[in-house]
Parts: sequence; C-alpha cells; structure tokens
Amino acid sequence: MQNDYERNRIVAASAARGRPAGIEARGLVRDFKGGVRAVAGIDLVVSEGEIYGFLGPNGAGKSTTVLMLSTLLPPSAGHATVAGHDVVREGAAVRRAIGASLQESALDPYLSAREHMLLQGALHGLSRAAARARGEELLERVGLSEAAERKVKGYSGGMKRRLDLALALIHHPRLLFLDEPTTGLDVQSRTALWEEVRRLADEGVTVFLTTQYLEEADVLADRVGIIDRGRIVAEGAPADLKAEIGRPAVEALPEDPAQRERLAGVLARIGELLPAAAGGAVAVRLPAGARDLAEVVRALDAEGISLAELRLHAPTLDDVFLAKTGRSLEGGGDREEAQQEGAAAAGGQTGGSVRA
Amino acid sequence: MSGSAAQSSQGGIWAVARAIAWRNLRTYVRRPELFVPSLVFPLIFLAAFAGGLSALGGAPGFHFPAGYTAFQFVFVLLQSAMFAGLFTGFSLAFDFESGFARRLMIAAADRRGIALGYALVALTRATVTLTVVTGVALAAGMQVTGDGVEVFGLYGLAALLVFVGYGWAAGIAFRFRSIQAGPLMQTPVFLILFLAPVYVPLGLLKGWIHAVASVNPATFFLEAGRGLIAGRPTQLALAFGLALVLIGLFSLWARLGLRSAERGS
Repeated sequence: MQNDYERNRIVAASAARGRPAGIEARGLVRDFKGGVRAVAGIDLVVSEGEIYGFLGPNGAGKSTTVLMLSTLLPPSAGHATVAGHDVVREGAAVRRAIGASLQESALDPYLSAREHMLLQGALHGLSRAAARARGEELLERVGLSEAAERKVKGYSGGMKRRLDLALALIHHPRLLFLDEPTTGLDVQSRTALWEEVRRLADEGVTVFLTTQYLEEADVLADRVGIIDRGRIVAEGAPADLKAEIGRPAVEALPEDPAQRERLAGVLARIGELLPAAAGGAVAVRLPAGARDLAEVVRALDAEGISLAELRLHAPTLDDVFLAKTGRSLEGGGDREEAQQEGAAAAGGQTGGSVRA
Repeated sequence: MSGSAAQSSQGGIWAVARAIAWRNLRTYVRRPELFVPSLVFPLIFLAAFAGGLSALGGAPGFHFPAGYTAFQFVFVLLQSAMFAGLFTGFSLAFDFESGFARRLMIAAADRRGIALGYALVALTRATVTLTVVTGVALAAGMQVTGDGVEVFGLYGLAALLVFVGYGWAAGIAFRFRSIQAGPLMQTPVFLILFLAPVYVPLGLLKGWIHAVASVNPATFFLEAGRGLIAGRPTQLALAFGLALVLIGLFSLWARLGLRSAERGS
C-alpha cells in the first residue's frame, strides 16, 4: 500500500510540473444502434507513468471506452486526447504511441509466437532484424521463449494473454491499454501478469487497465475510476476511496462469553463501538485504521482477556461501489440481480465480495 | 525508451500491406483446406467444360481457331482470377469475425495498408492458381495461337479481374465484418459469370440469354480474352477500360467500407 502512496506522490508531482497527461477525456459519449448509450459522458485524466484501473461490472462501458481511446471506435460526442493526440483527428499518431491488449486475444492460430512478433513488428514498421531482436526479448520476458516456435492454436489461455501483452509492447509504446487482461486466467498466470504490468509502470509506461476484479484494481492501480452504466461514479486512489467509505473495524469474540462486557469496555477506550456485532462478539471502529490493531491486541493482553476470534473488516472497493450506486459490484452487469444483491449487501456489514 | 521509440517509425501503407500479405500467405500454405479447393475447383471446371462439353466445338457456326479447350480455358482463367479476389474477401471477413482484424486496425498507422495488403494476397493466390490451371491446360493439349504479347495481355486482363473481384468482396467484408456475408460476395459474381457466353460464342446464343449476355460486362472480358489467346484481338479497349473503371469503382467501394469499419457502424 505504501507503494501506492509513493506512486501517487510521483504522479502528483509530475502533474504539478505540467507534464502532458497520458490520457484526457471530456464528455466522452458512445451511442450504438437502437439508441443504446454505452458510454454516457466520461471525463478522466490519466497522467504519464500512472496505472489507471477502470473498474466496473460487465456492460458498464469499460471496453467501449477503451475502444474509443484506442481509435477502434469513434466517440459519438465529446473529446479525447491520448499521448497528446486527438483520437478522432490524429488516429494514426495515437496508434503510434499506444499498445493494446484487448479482451479477445486477436491471434492467428496458424502462426507461432515468433511469427506473431515478426508480423507485429512489421506492422509497426520495424525492420525484420529489429522485430526479431525485440520479439525474442519480449518472449523471454513473458516466459514464452520455449514455446516460441509452437503454433498458437496449442497455447493455453494464459499463454495467449501473455503473447498478446508481448505483442502490444513490440514498438515500445508510451501508453498501454489492457482490457480485462486477466479474465479467465488461473491465479498463477494472473499474478505473473500483474508483476509484468507493475514492471512496465516502473519503466514509465502509462497503463490503462480495465477490470471487473476488485482485487486487481486494488493491487495494481495508482488510481481507480469506477464506472457504472456508462458514467464514472467514483475516482481516486484505492486507499482514498476506501477511506471515504469509512475506517476499518475490528470484531472480537471473547473465549469466555462472561467477559463480553469487560471486552467492550476495553475496546471502547480505543474507538467507537459498533452495534451490529453478532454471536457475542464486540466490534469497534479503528480511528487510526489498521494501525490500531496492535493497540487492540496489547490492551486485551494487558487486561488478560482471551479471545476465541479476532477479525479485521477493511472497506473494499465493492463497498465504494455499493456506496456510490446502491448495488454490489459483483454481478453488477445484470441490473436486476445487482439490485437484489445491493439490497442484500446494504443490510449486511462492510465485508466486500472480491471476485478472484 | 526514446531510442527504441525512434526505431519504430510505424509502417506506412506499404509496410502494413507487406506485413499483411506475409502473414496471409504463410497461413494460406499451412491450411490445405484453403489452398487445395482453390486449385482443385478451377481444374474441375476445366475438365468438365473443356472435356465434357468439347463436342460443342464442332457445333455449326462455332469457329475458334485455338480449339474448344482454349475457348473454355479463358473462361476458367478469368473466373479463377475473380474468385481469387473473392476468396481473399472471405479471408478479410473471417479476420474481422475472429477478432484478428482488430490487431491490424490498432497497429496500422495507415489503415489503407490493410486493404492493400489483402489485395497483394489476392494477386499472389491468383498467380498460384493461374499457373497451375495453365500448366494443366497445356499438358492436356491446349493450343495457343496468339503470340507472346497477346498471351501477356490475357494474363494482364486476368490480373485486373483479380482486383475487380477483390474490391467488390473487400467492400462487403469491411461493411459486414462477418463470414456470413460470403454469399453476398459470391452470388452476384456467379450470376454475372454464368450469364456470359460460357460454352459457346455470343453469336450462337439465342433469346433472353443473348440479350443479357450482350450487355454483361463478363462477356467483354471473355471475348477479349478469347481473342487474345487465339491471336485475334477484339474489344481490347472496351475490356481493359471496363476493368479499370470497375477497379476504380470498387476501390472506392472498399475505401468507404474501410471507413465504415473504422466507425464501427
């Protein structure tokens, strides 16, 4: 988390020095046939070198936004610049500056990974020698060197996504669009991809990442934009967004139920007691966040109170989504289901649902 | 980064076109289900028309100095040329349907290179097919009474028809972006080709088919092609001029189709 703060500090400092934004969008709208408005007026600014997580349920407008910013779809209204170039009037310049790994891995099953690298290099105007050298470097980097000669039709989903990422990087883009890069991947592949994205950001590449996974946005993104029904409903650093919702709470269950009143007395000295603790437990909001947890443990130890269970409830991005939309993010693509889930979640506690 | 970025000037129209042609031809030769039919069907047509219907060469009023095999060969040659263009349109539509074209659309600074790249693919595919068809026809005893320049003209006309077929199909592929548009590409070309004087010269056709064939553009191509192989050039300006006009029109059609694909409409 400290890393997040550090990154934000760097980004803020960059912005303050007046460096051009990686992406800037104002009032971006996209309508489809039949009057469907997929994106309903998006404003966002992504600074150079930043990892921006675009989080939302299926059908919220994430991919449509990426398609517009990557020049694959013109906006119906509004204006956007990517790497300082207008996405409508200067599409070619935008495409020179960006790399993109979109939802469908756009690969030819009859070509090998090495041939894909040569093709992608040629499309970007690299010489064959340069494309070959850069291709080998990237295949090594994403762990596909050994499979480089195999035709892609024999690749697993994770291998295809890694190849897709390598292809997006062949021309050293300044800005990278990743549209749900880890959807359908196993935990190991997902973690490897996250590491690679972090490494790219450390190298100064701006990353615009869409995801429906709360954990992914939380772990990777410097800032998160939460989109729902085509509009951004919340934006900021994950920690700040969660802090807006409320501080973490701790719930303690005494080993001896007769100790409950003493336990409540000790915890009341640390923070505000919460009413809804179930099953004989006592819950308290931690005023200084998770750092108060050590104080809780020390105080209980000093009073000689033994615990059967101690749980920390930290607000999640799902809580943020819930607070902003009245619905839970999980399953939010289906509006009826989402409303039911939202109602259920609103009646419960702060524990969020993490799709992973 | 900056040094590397400088390396990547991003390909212009020709770099994109060459890259696309390289990929498609590589895939083409690895997929026998694609290239075998493209070679076998013209040969079946040649065997069926030139062999099975060869008695038509002796019909009253049928005077073709190079013989019936050469008469039918020209039809098969020009048909194969147009279909090489059409089938490349199929490939383009399939690439859109599979999502591969997104890679091209996002990587190509100049997207006209995409249309040009597939045109190069069409021409290369046609070259392979026409070479095989010509080889088989000559091995089967086809006579060529035209001189070298005239034969060159025949293949030049075939090359133009590759682009006519491709331009038409590419326009459809860019608009529909689905292989389901295949019949839309194919059917009009089939109709035009088979409403031309395929089996006998125009003069021997009667009734409505004669009326239709008289204004059918394919008739002008066939008449010119047959004249060239027989060493009796006829209607060359009309045939070549018409082919060039159609290429111009279908280039515009394909360009507007590409814009439609860019708009996602």
